[in-house]
Amino acid sequence: MESTELFTLEHVSLVIDGRHILDDVDEHLHDGVATAIAGPSGSGKSTLLRLLNRLAEPTSGRVLFRGTDVRDLDVLELRRRAVLVPQRATALTGEAFAEVRVAAPALDDLTVAALLRRVALDPEELRGRQPSSLSGGELQRLCLARALAVGPEALLLDEPTSALDPRAGDAVDAVIRSLVADGLAVVLVSHDIVRAGNIADDVRVLHEGRVTARGPAARLDLAHELMSPPDDGHVHDEDDPSAHGDTHAAHLHGTERLEQEESP
Amino acid sequence: MTDIPSWTAVAVSVLLVLVAVAIASWQRLGISREIVIAAVRAFVQLLAVGAVLAWLFVHAGLAGALAWIVAMTIVAANESRRRGRGIPRAYWSALLGIVTGTAATLGVLVLGGVISTSPQVLIPIGGMVVSGSMQAASLTLTSLRRSAVENRPAIEAALSLGLPATAAFARDMRTAVRTALVPTIDSTRVVGLISLPGTMTGLIIAGVDPLAAIRYQIIVMYMLLAAWAVSALVTARAAQGAMFDDAQRLIPIPAP
Repeated sequence: MESTELFTLEHVSLVIDGRHILDDVDEHLHDGVATAIAGPSGSGKSTLLRLLNRLAEPTSGRVLFRGTDVRDLDVLELRRRAVLVPQRATALTGEAFAEVRVAAPALDDLTVAALLRRVALDPEELRGRQPSSLSGGELQRLCLARALAVGPEALLLDEPTSALDPRAGDAVDAVIRSLVADGLAVVLVSHDIVRAGNIADDVRVLHEGRVTARGPAARLDLAHELMSPPDDGHVHDEDDPSAHGDTHAAHLHGTERLEQEESP
Repeated sequence: MTDIPSWTAVAVSVLLVLVAVAIASWQRLGISREIVIAAVRAFVQLLAVGAVLAWLFVHAGLAGALAWIVAMTIVAANESRRRGRGIPRAYWSALLGIVTGTAATLGVLVLGGVISTSPQVLIPIGGMVVSGSMQAASLTLTSLRRSAVENRPAIEAALSLGLPATAAFARDMRTAVRTALVPTIDSTRVVGLISLPGTMTGLIIAGVDPLAAIRYQIIVMYMLLAAWAVSALVTARAAQGAMFDDAQRLIPIPAP
């Protein structure tokens, strides 16, 4: 079991100005699969992702990467082994091939082209193009290629499709799924639990800093889990039959909130 | 040589302050009080400086002149610090930049035999160098602070690729130093065309031949270019060190 563990969060809490952004999160994220952290905005999911590559530091508890406390790893090495792709696709250069080389300057053109094809972009069409001239979906995939160029063991994706229209989002999802199929581990944060469930093998539902449900995507009643009251002190496990007793009103309320978040 | 205004003449010039105050109150700008305070401050400060300089020129010698310049750098760094509010240890970054810019520039001028080491020369020239270095440090800190707020997503995207802070922040550092140098490059380019700068103005008013006065002005312009450049670069480097923590993270910096 140890060898298949990618990230371990041991009783992780993060408090800012007296507010619990994360509250006693104790989770095992597995290697070689896609894990989705789903929850409404403000639930702490992006912060959780930032703990994994040490862009943020927990107030208490530990984060382990493959069994080693992330604070004991060289932080630059950690960030190259587990590359985080931020929510807002941001170009760092003025040309597509240069963009892929940002953190891997030694890559030759053939390798860059292969990376671009890996994310379903056409290298011939992109050569010499300004990243700012690309569509949102293309830019997001260019950012994925830039992350893959580093040769990571895992990708940490913060809302990879939230800024995209559904079709562009589907294209990004397809790329993510193919990367996972090739054995790359992915930890993905999304406010769209249904979409996250389509990509991920494993889902954690986060509510106000606490994990309120976990389990394989196929076995979680995803639309239902998102509505779980955050303060019932009860983690809904996929094997726990009591997890699915709920009121319809809460369900509807939460669904509305989700739809509001999805509209641009 | 020439007629230096008497105290009576200064008293007449107070009328000009009244003009400014009249405009402010007539237009209800709400800054009449500030204008009066600024005018009084200028009077008191210059009176004090004049008295101190008169004493220094007679008694101080080289050591006194240097002590005066050091005191100016400390005041200047305190002024620059405001621009870097939110950046930790901004005072020390600014002080390091201003001291380095001043020392390097004055060092070249003195060791090259360009200017004399008498207090009458060192103190006013030092004042110009410190003032230029201070403006460079202020502009650098302003720019770095804006970068930290506006470009945080890009900086963190670069850090998340395993790039060290120096690489993730390189673009912002270049922008900061370039931004800080623009005013002095502009003023160097148009010097003499738009305004007659202070040094030659002073010399000409004092009766010096304009062709001699411009020699001094040329040296001053070149000296300021160096002072601004050194101060901006050193301030930026020092501030960068304070803006990232040991885990190569951009620390939280509040929006201006």
